[in-house]
Parts: sequence; structure tokens; C-alpha cells
Amino acid sequence: MSVALDAALGVAAVGGMLAVGSLALAFADEAAAAAVAGAPLRPRRLLVAPFRRAASALLTATTTTERPDGGGRALAPALLAGLAALAMSMLPLAPGVVPADPSTGFVVFSAAVAFVMIAVFLHGWSPNSTLPLHGAYRFGAVALSFQIPFLLAMLATALPAQSLSLVRIVEAQAPLWNVIREPLGLPIYLIVGLAVGLWGPLNLPDADDLAGGTSAEDSGLARWLWEAARTSMLVAVAALGSAAFLGGYLGPLLPGPVWVALKTALLLAVMAVARHALARARIERFVEVAWVLLVPLALLNVFVSGAFLL
Amino acid sequence: MSDLPVSLAFAAFSAVAVVAGIRVFRTDSMVRAAFYLLASFAAVGAIMVLLGAEFLGMVLILMMAGEMLVMAIVMVMYMMNPAGLNPMVMVHQHRTAIAAGAVAFLALAGVGLAGGVPQRPVTNPGAATGDLGRELLGNSMLVFQTAGVTLLGTMVGAIAIAAPRGRFGDADADSQEPALQPDEEPEA
Repeated sequence: MSVALDAALGVAAVGGMLAVGSLALAFADEAAAAAVAGAPLRPRRLLVAPFRRAASALLTATTTTERPDGGGRALAPALLAGLAALAMSMLPLAPGVVPADPSTGFVVFSAAVAFVMIAVFLHGWSPNSTLPLHGAYRFGAVALSFQIPFLLAMLATALPAQSLSLVRIVEAQAPLWNVIREPLGLPIYLIVGLAVGLWGPLNLPDADDLAGGTSAEDSGLARWLWEAARTSMLVAVAALGSAAFLGGYLGPLLPGPVWVALKTALLLAVMAVARHALARARIERFVEVAWVLLVPLALLNVFVSGAFLL
Repeated sequence: MSDLPVSLAFAAFSAVAVVAGIRVFRTDSMVRAAFYLLASFAAVGAIMVLLGAEFLGMVLILMMAGEMLVMAIVMVMYMMNPAGLNPMVMVHQHRTAIAAGAVAFLALAGVGLAGGVPQRPVTNPGAATGDLGRELLGNSMLVFQTAGVTLLGTMVGAIAIAAPRGRFGDADADSQEPALQPDEEPEA
């Protein structure tokens, strides 16, 4: 009985964290948009905006395309949200408090990030329409380029912990956070995080120059579900980034979960500002930067982290 | 963990692996076939996790995502079927394929049933990993390093050949080989 109760509690906690995080990101996004545009901040409008957008999406009819792959269209947002939940379920909240702690947590998270490209490709391919398919192909190029820098940046955090478990990775940061020990890690991780979450300057598959890319044919509930799944993925990436590089629950005075929330909120704020302050990258340039610059930098990061262990 | 949930999970993942594996050949689109194959492999990876090979199972799932996507894109590229949504038959030489599949399945199933499962519990799991590490970085190091450098060289060469930038300019911006003789017009 207690096993079932624990499982229900874990599912509720993961879902709750994703929902609260997504809402926080929506507020931060509105605030960042106003700040970057130099517009006055209207708190009431800001607080209502995410709900207004959701309501407007849910009141719009869901359209369909000619001969779509119905199963794929339904599966894509569910798969993306499930991957976000999978990643979030491994987030250590306090010493000894974590929904799930697989010994290969690092590999599970990497597999979740790798499957994002399946979800996005499926989402762009299944409507049987040109612009979404362009977005899907774009994400193939983007995802294959960020995969290796991402794995190397995460691998460097596993070295001091001498373990692939995310709980051990947080514990190993007690003397020194990884953001100081491996200064290259967090920037690489954040760049990849923007691409994984289809967000801001690296939102190439769902970009406006493709009239919405993979979601160009989405409307109503389908569009809202995809938005929610994307946002959840970004929240999960920020949360696990705070655990892997900013010491997770470690911190003075305040209890562990508060530190987790604060650090995740900090990374989400950085991403929200990046969306409005930075121009969208060109895909050729991003692919080149990923292979020519990020891979060697990430390797250097691994070598330096390894040298500290000798 | 008790045995019942593990058995149920094994049954579920096996069913997914087999049904998705059959669907690979019964579907009419290359992209769908690639995704069914991915589902089948992911279920096999999950079974490996159930068997205690957590790392191998998760790495299999991790690697398959990228591989299947690349496979789907390359197949669509070669077949001139822009979205991979146009219906097409996914099998050739039906009778030969069915016979070969049935023979292979029966042979493997026969080996599995008749071969027996070895019962050699590992007393010290850490030692096995250590032995493997010593083998990879000890006596066999030259072999593995040679293979690794060769593969890396192949990848660099393939990228250099495929890259649009050539000795005589960018491939997408009027690159032209110079003429063989001085003062001669270059060949168009």
C-alpha cells in the first residue's frame, strides 16, 4: 500500500513542480518582454496573460490537415511532456528526498534529451504539411549538433561525483559548486537547454520564419498542449541544470526545496531574458558553432575537471 | 522489488518489442517504420534494465533515438518521397523474406530453448568492470586505439568531403577549379 502511496505522491510532486515551474516561466517571460521592450510593467496584466492565452487557445477550434498521421500528432506533445516528467522525477529536492534515484540518472536524463528530437520530429512530420516538416528537419540538424556538447558538459559534472546518479552529483558539490569548478559547463548547458526547449534564440524548429514551424498547423487544444509540453521541458532542463551546476538543494539558512526553487527560477529568468534580448540564431551558424566551438570547449571542460581529480 | 511487477513489466515490454517489430514491416511509410523500430529497440532496452543491465539498457535507448532519426531522414532523402508519408510497400521479395524470417526466428528460439541459461552469479560486480577496463586499456589498448583513430579519421574525411567549403571556394557560390595551363580559361 505504501508503495502505491509513494508512487502517487511522486507523480503528484513531479506534475506539480512542472505546472508551477511553467507558470513561473510564463510570468518571467511576460516580465522580460516588457523590460526588454522598455514598456511599463503592468502586474495585473502580467498575472492574467498566461491564463488569457490558455483560455483563448482552448476556445479555438482544433483544425486538422489532409491525411495526417493521427497517432503521431497525438503522441508528440504527450511524449515531450512525458520526457519532461521523466527528467523532473530525478531532481533531488533535499538530502534523501528525491522522487526517483536511478544509479544511471545521468544516462536517463541524456536519453530523455535525445528523445526530444523524436518528439519534435514526430510533431513536425505528422501533420503532412510543408512548413512543419521544414521545422522537423531543422530540429534534426540542431539536435544532432547539440547532443555531443550536452553529453560532455553533463559528463564533466559526473566526474567529481564519480557516479552517474544525480543525487551523488549534487552531494559532490558540497565543497564547491560545479558552476565554479567547471565554469564552461553551465554556459554550454544553457545554450543546449535553449535548443532543447525550442526557446528564444534557438527556437529554430518552431520559428516565426516558418510561420510557427512544427506547430504551424496546430490550433486550439493541440497548440496549447504543445506549448505546455515545450514549457515543461524547459522547466525540467532548468531544474536539472540547477542540480548539476548550481548545487541543487545545497545552500545556507533556507531549506533545500527553497534553494532548488530559487536556483531553478534564476535559470528560468536567464532563459526568459535570452528569448527577448537575443536575436534568433541562423541554423547554419548554430550548427557550425556547436561542432567547431562547443565540442572542443566541452572537451576542454572534461579534461580540466578530470585533472582536478588527479 | 517483488517478482510480480517485474514479470508484468517484462511481459508488457516484450509485447511492445514484438508488436512494434512486426509493425515495422506492415506499415506503409518509411518514417513510421523507423519509429516502430525505435519503439521496439526502446522496449528491448527497458528489458535490459529489468535484467539488471541498467547502464547498457539506458545507453541503448539513448543511442537509438539519434540513429533512428538519421535513418528516417536518410531513407526519405534517398527514396525521393519528400515527407515519407506517401504510401509504399516496406518489403521486397516477399516469399524469400518470409522464409528467411521464419527460419531465423525458429533457429534463435531453438537456441534459446535448448541452449539453457548459464547460472554463474557474479560474486564481486566491481571486479568485472575493473577487468574490462584493464582489458580495454591494457593488452588490447593498441587494437582499440587503432580502431578508434581510424574511425575518427573516417568521420573527419567524410565531413571534409561533404562540407560545402572547398579549396576553390564555397560549393554554393560558384566555386570553380582553376585551369590546368596558365592563362587558360577555367572549365565551366
